[in-house]
Amino acid sequence: MTRLLLLLLTSSATLLVFGLWIPLKAVIAQELLEMAWAESQARQTELRPWPWADTWPVGRLAIPELNDSMIVLADTHGESLAFGPGRLTGGDNTGGAVIIAGHRDTHFRSLKALETGNEVRLQALDGRWQSYLVEGARVVDSRSELIDTQSLPEGTLLLVTCYPFDSVDTGGPLRYVVRASARGKQTEQIDTVAGI
Amino acid sequence: MMLTYLRLYSPVLDRSSTPGSSAVASKTRCEYVPVRSAPPSMAPHGFGNHRGAASDFAGSRRLRFKRLGEGISLWLAVLLMLFVHPLYAEANEADNVGELHFVDGQGQWQEPALVLDSEFEIRVSGLIADSRLLRSFRNTSDQWREGVFVFPLPEKASVYGLTMKVGERTIEGKVQPKETARRTYEKAKQAGQHAANVEQQRPDLFTARVANIPPGETVSVELKYQQPVQYQAGVFELTVPTTLTPRYMPGAPVRSAPDQWQGGWALPTTEVPDASAISPFTVNPTDVATDSHRASIELVIDSGLPLESVSSPSHRLASRQDGQTFSVSPEGGEILMNRDFVVRWRPVAGLEPSAAVFHQSWQGEDYLMAMLVPGDNGSMVLPRDLVFVIDTSGSMAGESIRQARSALQAGLDTLTPRDRFNVIQFNSQTHSLFMQPEVATGNNLARARQYVDRLRADGGTEMASALSRALDSGVETEAGARVRQVIFITDGAVGNEAALFRQIRDQLGSQRLFTVAIGSAPNRHFMREAARWGRGTYTAIQSPSDVDGPLQALFSAMESPVLTDIRVNWPGQETGREAFPARPGDLFQGEPLIHVVRGVPAMGELKVSGRLPGGQDWNRTLDLQQAASATGLHRHWAREKIDSLEDEAKVAGREPNRAGITGLAVKHGLMSAYTSFVAVDSTPARSTETPMVSDNLPTLLPAGSQAGMLRYPQTATSAPLLIALGVVGLMFSLALVLLQRRAFA
Repeated sequence: MTRLLLLLLTSSATLLVFGLWIPLKAVIAQELLEMAWAESQARQTELRPWPWADTWPVGRLAIPELNDSMIVLADTHGESLAFGPGRLTGGDNTGGAVIIAGHRDTHFRSLKALETGNEVRLQALDGRWQSYLVEGARVVDSRSELIDTQSLPEGTLLLVTCYPFDSVDTGGPLRYVVRASARGKQTEQIDTVAGI
Repeated sequence: MMLTYLRLYSPVLDRSSTPGSSAVASKTRCEYVPVRSAPPSMAPHGFGNHRGAASDFAGSRRLRFKRLGEGISLWLAVLLMLFVHPLYAEANEADNVGELHFVDGQGQWQEPALVLDSEFEIRVSGLIADSRLLRSFRNTSDQWREGVFVFPLPEKASVYGLTMKVGERTIEGKVQPKETARRTYEKAKQAGQHAANVEQQRPDLFTARVANIPPGETVSVELKYQQPVQYQAGVFELTVPTTLTPRYMPGAPVRSAPDQWQGGWALPTTEVPDASAISPFTVNPTDVATDSHRASIELVIDSGLPLESVSSPSHRLASRQDGQTFSVSPEGGEILMNRDFVVRWRPVAGLEPSAAVFHQSWQGEDYLMAMLVPGDNGSMVLPRDLVFVIDTSGSMAGESIRQARSALQAGLDTLTPRDRFNVIQFNSQTHSLFMQPEVATGNNLARARQYVDRLRADGGTEMASALSRALDSGVETEAGARVRQVIFITDGAVGNEAALFRQIRDQLGSQRLFTVAIGSAPNRHFMREAARWGRGTYTAIQSPSDVDGPLQALFSAMESPVLTDIRVNWPGQETGREAFPARPGDLFQGEPLIHVVRGVPAMGELKVSGRLPGGQDWNRTLDLQQAASATGLHRHWAREKIDSLEDEAKVAGREPNRAGITGLAVKHGLMSAYTSFVAVDSTPARSTETPMVSDNLPTLLPAGSQAGMLRYPQTATSAPLLIALGVVGLMFSLALVLLQRRAFA
């Protein structure tokens, strides 16, 4: 009986630790990414935040209304979403729309609080901030709808995360998509300091 | 169905997104406070136990532990409440979402209700393949359905029959002018009659509509079409396309009536006004029912020649030989419709036909078809200016760009130091390796190889600017001394074909354009026609393992001189004689001349003359009395004539002779840009009060390609689940511990 109890206790504790590790990892990784971002801005090059990383920071996403800011990573493959939201397409002179996806449980949890008219800012490698205005949000079914990147106008920003926000189902088909459009090119000073 | 989703979602934004979730958030906050204040009020429990067993030291220590345990478990309970609450909230929320949009009357998710099944029966005799394609639409829902399916056929197919099968009954379809046929169909659809309509959107792209499919039943549409078999360098080839690569629609979207029903993902644009009709939704095979989008293929080759081998670069084959007749089908029965089915057969070496004549008399008129292979005429290699143009648009992503890169590398291998070359890539923008063609030195080639290795596929397919760059970049100083050739490597996934053909014709000059088709389902019509307008040849690569063979043939054809200035003289008087192609293009090594004529009896001699690159004359005669009888020649002739009428209009830049084409198509019972097939059952099947739902069947994403349409990524972690499970488990075990302690105490 006691052993069973012990087993139950340790396994639950392990689960809890694993569960808490995910948000913790998300927070720690962002700290490391901040450093990598500062350095890659200073050197104007893509820089891996840790030697074995398969991704690198490509931008900083800030939501002034929610006092939230995070480093965006290249691509959404593999484990990279655990460390920060990933940029699917766009950015860096390629033109077209920018699409960023993030985990609803960690970085993009705050997406549900975004409202039409809110400002979202995106910083590129050259330090320039691009300001976007939220046009609206909608729920899509990923089984029946795809993102048609070609039909999205230039200067569109899509923020994608899973929906519903409080679900425990990791494989759900619904996505919450916030659409924002660019508000004129703005140039601001680089506000990060090189940390080499 | 997809569309219903797309449309219905938009209202979701305003209703369920922000207000809904913020309400939930505030609720969470309200209940948070009372729950948190719970521990003090529960504290007396702990004290009560304390009072009962305070006698000895060890006991008090145990008690302290117990109290600690209880405290922890209470806090864990609080935590649990926090985590469990959102689950309730989510349950409520999910209900709302469902109610609003995603669920139909029965509370079911609306999956596509039609299951599609295709059967190809192809018979090859001589140079013409005759096919019967049976498409069955099985309705798995309990509602009446209309099925709409956009599908490709071989690029030179002449569709000449439509039969609809409902249960035991068959209804023959009729050729009608396109608008009339559509009206007939719509009327029958409203009246509840079984009806089928097949329309041509592009010479190789068709739309089938089947109305009033009863719940749980199947309606089939049988199409009959024929196509010429391709013969090049001693190998026959037949292609059965099964799907299409989503095409890029240049131009600005034309937002006409926003409420208008739409069948495709693309909006009509200024340059492709029918974009929505040629852009069916493309899905992964896992997104359709497990038995949907399968095709069975039965091919009988009766070429009248002893064959050495029958092979396929696309599928594994199971073939059976019976004398000179081969029966071929894909190994394992049905194939998934995400890759074109290609079969090649090769006559026994030495017995490759170098000439053939076929004859048919139809409605009192004689039709002849002749094939002639000029053969090897020796070679005379001239220094060349070679421009490689490679498509790096989004539709090339995946397997295609790898194939294209290896094709380009193979092309670079053929260069000699006398040649000059350049590499141009294009997607939304055009970018070239050199400003103008550079001499193929080791250094330049190394640069080119590096450049090619770094090519990535992304963005749109703005082909026009790349074509201009390739065709205009020639320095015309040493005209005549150099042969200028452009190799165009692409999947042809564009919607504005006609404009591009015009551009090729206008800018070509003395150059030649060779096209190399890449991918599992390239736009073969575009590739073939572009090569024809560019006075070059067209080569298709099926798979990475298939790169070498066809490309070697292409590169040797490009190096070899061509037979130019070809004249074909049919015997007999000029009147009533019409031969196509009216002006045969130049021939490359291994390429046959195929000519079809009406109004010439199978008598006398056919004379063909041309000029070899050295300037010598080349003559050949063919005895027409030996013509073998064949069927379907008149349709092939009619299709050639329709094509030539359309070509004339393109050259002159005016509208094609609509009445002429319609008349010709109706006479020969053919589908064309202006005629389509419609079949209507006279007795109504559905009462007009019963509703009917329209289903746009998706096509499958070509194998190996990445969706130009992005899939939404998976964006949830297992953190909440793990935390919830862990907390529940801890709670439970602590509760057990406490119970145990209490029982002992």
